[in-house]
Amino acid sequence: MSASRSDARRAERLVRVYPHAWRARYGPELAQLLMDDMAERPLSPVRTADVVGHGLWTRLAFAGLVGDAVAPERRSRAALGALAGLVAAFLVVGVALWSQLTIGWQWSAPAAPGTKAGMIVMSGALLGFGLIAALAAGPIAWALLGALRRNADAIWRPLVLSFAGAVLLLLGSRHFGAGWPGTGGHAWAGRNLVPGSVARLGWAATLWITSYWAHPGALRSFPAGEIAWMAVSPFALLAVMGGGLRTLRRLELSERTQRWETCLALVAAGVMAAFVAGAGSWVLSGGPGPKNLFRVGAIDMLALALLTVALVAASHSLRRAVGGSSRRRAA
Amino acid sequence: MTSSSPQRRDQDPAELSALGRYAGPATLILSSLAEGDKHGYGLTKDIEGFAGIRLAPGTMYEALSRLERQGLIEALESHDRRRPYRLTALGATALRAHLADQRRVAEVGLRRLESGEGTA
Repeated sequence: MSASRSDARRAERLVRVYPHAWRARYGPELAQLLMDDMAERPLSPVRTADVVGHGLWTRLAFAGLVGDAVAPERRSRAALGALAGLVAAFLVVGVALWSQLTIGWQWSAPAAPGTKAGMIVMSGALLGFGLIAALAAGPIAWALLGALRRNADAIWRPLVLSFAGAVLLLLGSRHFGAGWPGTGGHAWAGRNLVPGSVARLGWAATLWITSYWAHPGALRSFPAGEIAWMAVSPFALLAVMGGGLRTLRRLELSERTQRWETCLALVAAGVMAAFVAGAGSWVLSGGPGPKNLFRVGAIDMLALALLTVALVAASHSLRRAVGGSSRRRAA
Repeated sequence: MTSSSPQRRDQDPAELSALGRYAGPATLILSSLAEGDKHGYGLTKDIEGFAGIRLAPGTMYEALSRLERQGLIEALESHDRRRPYRLTALGATALRAHLADQRRVAEVGLRRLESGEGTA
């Protein structure tokens, strides 16, 4: 059976859907099987869908979200990694939602009690996330230092990627935050729920999460630099999250650290639930509000749906993390 | 020879049916390997020949990796990328038990059809 060079390239591309650890063991064999199959049946959408579907499923399994592909002793650790990713994604969408609302509050406090309560709960939840991150960072930083001393080669690439993404995101957000439509910083306003500098940074970092993409005419009226930032900033965020998660997965965490991080994850899930409840309260009670500042749009409904999905998936990961941890202790 | 996870070695061989949606592909793969060692494409062609089912590559490797993890098959050394697999003793026991169950079910169904029970 002779495989053409293009078949080999197609096969290698398809195999890349699978996670790295799986590919290290089965990748060459699967690529060979695909090439043999392609020699017999050059085009097969069913084959492509089958490989992509199983590859994505295996990624979820290796992330500790489904199945039993990960050995029981590593399952809790994998689930914690997945949970960290879900919390990060939750925060991106959550901050986008919240920062739009804080703009409104800078101008005028919401009239509806449900909106007011919802925004206070959401702001408190974000503060909670900050505290959890601070408490989680210490042991992780310690493990990171240890890993850098032992085998820096395995860590430095994702670490640099994450750091570079964070620097780009911070600098860009500071720069484009100057165009923030809130009035924070004006002493006379006196209605601001959170410091304007914080709201401004959150707004600029998540500027790309907007319904303006569906309205190209309105988008064209934006300054070119701002549109470029909206296109680039998601990649900076991906670098922060992707690099951070890869670094986290490569760290050896002690049993004690894993228990501590699992406890914090339990609290984080509660904070996520509080944030979703706050956002839900705004969506249910929010009409246009004063000067149309708290209007609920289709994108806000979508954001709330995404937050709920992330919360459910995080709860699932947490159950696996806690289950794995309990099994290890029992063993 | 590649070894599979040791913690899976002592499980009940009758667990083949517990593979859920992979029980079908697993039965076909183990039945094919019962004849002799085969690599991925060899399995595909053999299964297509005796069962009339062509296992897609993703499904094939999902099942192979699970079976290897359970210790029901083992990977052999290979000089190229077509790595052959072999049925283990545990795999043979699991397959025998599973097929005996299937045969019992098939016999009951056939007997009832022949006696005309439940037909309109």
